[in-house]
Amino acid sequence: MAVILIVEDDVFIREIAVMTIEDWGHETLSASDVDEALVILRSTKSIDLLFTDIYLQMAVHGGCELAHQAIRLRPELRVLYTTGNFVTDAMKALLVEGTHFLRKPYTPHQLQRSVDGLLAA
Amino acid sequence: MSDIDLGKKTVSDIAASDIVETVPSALIILDKNLNITSANRAFYQTFRTSADETEGCHIYELGNRQWDIPALRTLLESVIPHRASVEGFEVEHDFPTIGRRTMLVNARKIFRPGDGGSILLAIEDVSEERAARSESKRNWQLTQSIVDTIRDPLVVLEDDMTIVTASKAFLTIFGITEVEVRGRRFSELGQHQWDVPALRHLMEKVLPENKPIESFEIEDNFPGLGRRVFNLNARKISQPGNHAHRMLLVFEDITDRKQRERDALSLTNEISHRIKNNLQVIVGLISYEAKWTAAPCVQGYKAMQARIGAIAQLYDLISQSSRGRTVAVDAYLREIAKVMSASLIGDMSGVVIEVKGEQLEIDPDRAVPFGLLVNELATNAIKHAFPHGTGHIMLRVEQVGDQIELVVADNGIGMKEKDSEKIPEKRGSDYVAIFVRQLGGAIVPSKQESTGTTVRIRLPLLLVPPGGAERVAA
Repeated sequence: MAVILIVEDDVFIREIAVMTIEDWGHETLSASDVDEALVILRSTKSIDLLFTDIYLQMAVHGGCELAHQAIRLRPELRVLYTTGNFVTDAMKALLVEGTHFLRKPYTPHQLQRSVDGLLAA
Repeated sequence: MSDIDLGKKTVSDIAASDIVETVPSALIILDKNLNITSANRAFYQTFRTSADETEGCHIYELGNRQWDIPALRTLLESVIPHRASVEGFEVEHDFPTIGRRTMLVNARKIFRPGDGGSILLAIEDVSEERAARSESKRNWQLTQSIVDTIRDPLVVLEDDMTIVTASKAFLTIFGITEVEVRGRRFSELGQHQWDVPALRHLMEKVLPENKPIESFEIEDNFPGLGRRVFNLNARKISQPGNHAHRMLLVFEDITDRKQRERDALSLTNEISHRIKNNLQVIVGLISYEAKWTAAPCVQGYKAMQARIGAIAQLYDLISQSSRGRTVAVDAYLREIAKVMSASLIGDMSGVVIEVKGEQLEIDPDRAVPFGLLVNELATNAIKHAFPHGTGHIMLRVEQVGDQIELVVADNGIGMKEKDSEKIPEKRGSDYVAIFVRQLGGAIVPSKQESTGTTVRIRLPLLLVPPGGAERVAA
């Protein structure tokens, strides 16, 4: 069992992700924007994986900035990005090295494969 | 030609006279009283005269006094008496016989025993050279005038990257004077905004390798201008009559265009974010429903998720395009194959999806049904053709006459003969037939092989208007 922090500004999508991931036996924490996520990341809570949307609350690359700060706070943290936008090379350059990326709309099966892959690494 | 062609010639004298006769410059020898004692063949030819008319004649009297030229008088009467030799004395004169001529005169005093002293004049006709230089100068001035009328700022550089000239637009926009730019290295201009290693590297290749620079973009803060984006283009230019090559560097201010592109991209990102989130909500709802649905129905939900995924992929392709552009069919097939391949795990991990595609376009209106059609056919193949979980699926698109042919072929277990007449219905859903109709195409009957299934569909080809539509590739 792992602890997964889900950062998603759409409530419905976030709640579906929470339910789906918890169905696999993992524990979840959730946030709707960068600030909320940073509060959790700065806490003493154990977190294994950050699953974040790149586009957060009108911040086009909010998830990218969040991931960089998260890695500085917790260097061992695994990161899984998701976005509905077309991923340009410029955007890829902003991603933390060694992380995974999932395009929206993703199926529970695709999400599980990405999460399992990162946790096993 | 008495002084050159003496009666008692020594070997060296003969050699000298031969040389005198063969040199291209006109030569004359004057005695101390400025009477012509000798001239060579080049002189007679150039000034259309003869030895009879010339020898013994006073220089100023020659040819009906056409050599009575003030500048020549100055040379012979004021300069030569005080100097042993004079070089490059320029004389310009209108000769009645040969017209206006520019001559370079070299003069040398010659002293021989028993001789009161002579003057050797070597006259080089440089009229054509001067005319060419003058023409070249006029051309350059004309070029400069044209350069100054061009709205885009531009500079002309030497091969050492120093500035030869800058257009008025350049001087005005960058608030600099001609004196300040001329002779300065390009990289030293302003606050060294142009001193970019990648640009320097490209500029160094323009002249030696004749490699133009196309649309090199620089964004920076410029004094008095604020933040600006410039597109730089450079070309090698050659000046007629001059072997030296120079570089023409043109600056296009694309700040406004860039801003419009960025605004459009922001809007696209925002819309894309919303649409994909909506699709994600639908996929989430389907997944949630599927959890409480009996096993036989789950496949239907999964197929629905795949269809939504196909539309989302296509949206990515279309969202990169502006209105009216076409979608690259081959790139779209590769995207579908990539996503489908990634979903082949567990029992189906031995299925390989390959794409062979010519570069063909389809209009955005038909792209959605086309993508869904490919998705249905490939999904059907995955579901039905490989009970043992291994096999090969080929997605192929090519132009056949004035049509696009889409082929989805597998090497699976094939279909029974009785099923072959209604391939789409048996192999998946009625959707295939609907999509084909929507695309204005038709299913081409294929001969059934002993193994595998091939579905062949012909669609009308998109006619790209003259000038071409821009392709949108994945």
